[in-house]
Amino acid sequence: MTQEVIRSPQMEQAKPSRMTLRQSERLTGYLLVAPVIACIIALIVFPFFYAISISFTDKMVGTEGNFVGLENFGYLLRQSRFTETIRNTIVLVTSVQLLKLVFGMGIAVLLNQEVRGKNIWRGLILLPWAMPAFVAFITWKLLFAAQGGAINMILLGTGLTTTHVDFMSKELAMPSVIIASFWRGFPFWVISFLAGMQNIPQERYEAAALDGASAWGRFRYITLPGLRHVILVVVLLSTIATTNSFEAIWLITGGGPSNATMTFPVLAYYGLQSLRIGEAAAVSVSLLPVFAVLAFIVAVLLQRQED
Amino acid sequence: MLTRLTLQQKILYYSLLTILALIILFPIYYMVIISLKLPKDIYRTPSLLPINATTQNYVDLFDPDKGNFLLNIRNSFIVAGSATFVSVLFSSMAAYSLVRLRYLYRDWFGRLILLAYLTPGSVLFIPLSVIIARLQLGNTLHGLIFVYLTFSTPLSTWLLMGYFKSIPVDLDEQAMVDGATRIQAFFQILLPLSAPGLIAVSVFAFTGAWNELLFGLLFVTSPDLRTVPVAISYLITGDVFRWGLIMAASVSAAVPVMILYYMAQRFVVKGLSAGAVKM
Repeated sequence: MTQEVIRSPQMEQAKPSRMTLRQSERLTGYLLVAPVIACIIALIVFPFFYAISISFTDKMVGTEGNFVGLENFGYLLRQSRFTETIRNTIVLVTSVQLLKLVFGMGIAVLLNQEVRGKNIWRGLILLPWAMPAFVAFITWKLLFAAQGGAINMILLGTGLTTTHVDFMSKELAMPSVIIASFWRGFPFWVISFLAGMQNIPQERYEAAALDGASAWGRFRYITLPGLRHVILVVVLLSTIATTNSFEAIWLITGGGPSNATMTFPVLAYYGLQSLRIGEAAAVSVSLLPVFAVLAFIVAVLLQRQED
Repeated sequence: MLTRLTLQQKILYYSLLTILALIILFPIYYMVIISLKLPKDIYRTPSLLPINATTQNYVDLFDPDKGNFLLNIRNSFIVAGSATFVSVLFSSMAAYSLVRLRYLYRDWFGRLILLAYLTPGSVLFIPLSVIIARLQLGNTLHGLIFVYLTFSTPLSTWLLMGYFKSIPVDLDEQAMVDGATRIQAFFQILLPLSAPGLIAVSVFAFTGAWNELLFGLLFVTSPDLRTVPVAISYLITGDVFRWGLIMAASVSAAVPVMILYYMAQRFVVKGLSAGAVKM
């Protein structure tokens, strides 16, 4: 009894102070996270839903617009320009991603060897990625130029072609954009793959060597499975970025000639310039289902990694 | 591993590396030599070598009487610098809160930040241009700063969360036992220990804002408020491209961020791999 009498005031003292400590922790927590959450709600969450709601209206600049249901989407689907945009996006994204995967992996394997001057090579690989994207794409526009472009100069000089090649023609514009996007984008893949390779235990390679596995066998059965997760994350992140990249197309071809390189962001940009906001919003919103699936998978992967 | 290779394999190996180096370096080389040529040398006597090299393009570019380029650089520094400062401040506060403090819906805030990072700007630019106009932020640098800091915060927060997690909780708890407040422990213990992470995040935020084109094109209309990418993109809209001048501007735009990258290279690569691999 006496013990309880003595202990109880202490407990009563302890209780409220612990309560306020937890409360103050909670309050500090909310206060510190609030600016970021406020920015995200104002400039990402709200615009996201606003975009969807505009896409169901005939909004123009200066008017609120009326609800027109799915009319904008129907209108887009009837335009050959929109179906070309879908096809171009698929061609562009698949080719660039395949190139980056194959060459990125090949270069990562090359650089993962005991090469002299390892850090110099890695610094070199980073160059295209360290330079601003718009600078890289403007430079490629120059390289492809008919007059003053280096590629034509080399082709003519070596006698591979006898006339100027028009890299901005309907047939070659897309391959040109693909090459430029690949050049600018592959370093991210190489560096990510290299980082992933550092995490594969060296013993596995030694054991495989003892078993007499070939170089290809070691790559196929140790490196590739070890990089499975990295590959998946990089492919998904980069696919979201490439699908939505504006600069490459805008600076090199502007979506032309006659829509041969038109992609979603550029088409939406033209829509906005023509002031038909409802239709422009419908262009970018029509990509949302694809984006949502990709983002959901990446988010799950990244959070699982986190835990 | 390479020591076990035969001579033929070694030759193959180093030839591959050389081809790779050429593919990376040639466009950069060409960009620099064209920036040193006048139109007559580019078009009349095309050459892959820096014949008749001159710094005239750079002189013209930075001449305040002939253009706005100095103003464009100043605008870019203001926008990228402010966006970086605010976003690193906000995101380190948020990352601390999400990693060290316990409260309701904390995990949901984390998920929201991750999804915000993954939301592409191309979905947002149409509603944002309506919103920015309505907030009277159109054609101001403030509008750009606001948008850029919002775009860099999610990634910064996400990377810093990883960094803060790698620092033992005992360190800041010990400081608090010794009488420091939570805020003091954050500023005096956690932030200094996270310097590499903060550097990487600052470089990402600065280059992200410095390189951004789409929102710059949309939000800024008057020539003296244009940022560098916007100003350069206006140089290539005409019929005749002044390639010498365009490349001089491109080199000047690339140099600051590339110096930044290479100075911070080990932090950036670490941050990048934390971002893509270990997140």
